[in-house]
Amino acid sequence: MLRVRSLSMRYPNGKLALSDFDLTVEAGELVVVLGGNGSGKTTLLRCITRTLRPISGEIWLGEANLAELEGDRLRRARMKLALISQHASLVRRSSVATNVATGSLGRHFNLWTALGGLPASELQAAQGYLDDVGLADLAGQRAGTLSGGQAQRVAIARALAQRPDVLLADEPVASLDPEAAQEIMRLLRRLAQSEKLAVLAVLHQVELAYTFADRVIGIRDGRMAFDTPRADLSREAVQRLYVGEAA
Amino acid sequence: MTVQAASLGAKSAWADWGRAGAIALRMALILGGILIAIQALIVVEARPQDLITGVHGMADIIRRSWPPDFSKFDDTIWPALQTVDVALFGTVVGVILAVPLAVLAAANVTANRVAYYIARGIIGFTRAVPDLVWALFFVTAVGLGPFPGGLALGVHSVGMLGRLFAETIEHMDMAPIHALELTGARRIQVFTHGIVPTVLPSLLGISLYRLDENIRSSLVLGFVGAGGIGFKLLTAMNLFQYREVSLLLIVVFVIVLSAERISAALRNRLA
Repeated sequence: MLRVRSLSMRYPNGKLALSDFDLTVEAGELVVVLGGNGSGKTTLLRCITRTLRPISGEIWLGEANLAELEGDRLRRARMKLALISQHASLVRRSSVATNVATGSLGRHFNLWTALGGLPASELQAAQGYLDDVGLADLAGQRAGTLSGGQAQRVAIARALAQRPDVLLADEPVASLDPEAAQEIMRLLRRLAQSEKLAVLAVLHQVELAYTFADRVIGIRDGRMAFDTPRADLSREAVQRLYVGEAA
Repeated sequence: MTVQAASLGAKSAWADWGRAGAIALRMALILGGILIAIQALIVVEARPQDLITGVHGMADIIRRSWPPDFSKFDDTIWPALQTVDVALFGTVVGVILAVPLAVLAAANVTANRVAYYIARGIIGFTRAVPDLVWALFFVTAVGLGPFPGGLALGVHSVGMLGRLFAETIEHMDMAPIHALELTGARRIQVFTHGIVPTVLPSLLGISLYRLDENIRSSLVLGFVGAGGIGFKLLTAMNLFQYREVSLLLIVVFVIVLSAERISAALRNRLA
């Protein structure tokens, strides 16, 4: 479970990017964050991963408050948090199975893995994760040869190899065609339920939120506009998020 | 209407001035280029007439070089091997030293700014000093022979390879690296599992190209006492053994061409 309390973040230019933001994502739940460009969606995820440093607030991941951790303690706590991005960010020259198994590196620090090797058990487990995302037959293929949708599924398999409690997805379908986008969202929803993952996905496609989200959070100017179950989500509330953006 | 006409007239005048300025600038650039070429001719004391009147001297040497003295072919094998191995030694030493320096000298992965500037300084210095000067320097330390030649190529290669390696690392796609960092991998694991597989083909390609270059340099280093086929060529020329010189030039041609073709083929496979 992920709990964010009173999270605020200010950019070096003085602009307040997030203001007193609260959110909770339960295990097995898929929560979608909607908002216009520059509303603070990606900043929210980057603060949760601590790629950006918030000025105040708490980020609870199980019993650990990421906001107050540094160095190796932060690295270890963050292992329970996986991130997939708009681009799959795979090592293109490595095989699909190798890319997936690198998700487990945080758990295996020894001379072999420091020299570029991977535990045989994790390479074997990678097959299972690839099976979960429907790509078991591509294990030996070079990652650079995959289509966008396949690469994104491999990135999800790598995230699973990390054995996280929380999966963050930053516009995971932004560069995919509509069919591939539906597939990825279906996969995220299934994994949330089967793996008891807390999934927090930033999306631009409102229709995908209507179809796949358990809950939808609206963000505007760094503040929460709404946090509502999908069934209660009104078109007007969503439209208000994007008012003024076209101008 | 009158105001509009005046405005259009002013715009037209400005456009004419702009065109005239552009033409004047081009003329100035062409004139500047010609002046630079003329000063180069003066500084190098170029005398084409001497080249024309002296052409019979060159023709005489070519006539005396023919046919190549293949009876001395066996004597060229060992120096040829020395030449190739000096280049190989220099390249291997260069790669081994250049990789850690390049990692420190790449702004996107360096450990800290002090290490960055020290690494950049070493790379810049070893590159700025020509391999010939390094060879003379090492000859004073370890004497004549192929060893100082190999050391000279190694040190000079550190500079050349270090710069290209660092640029390759700086231009690599950092997204997979950031993704690995977020999995909880340590720095060394991020390096071996993310950076190395991403840049390795490029680094191997650059190293092969360097080996190709070093073989050429190794020939020249022979002229300053670093052994190999260059030294044999110098000796044969000093003794006016032009038929042996032509044999050695054929061997040099084969070595250089083979190295170039093999290096290019391997680089193509890595691409």
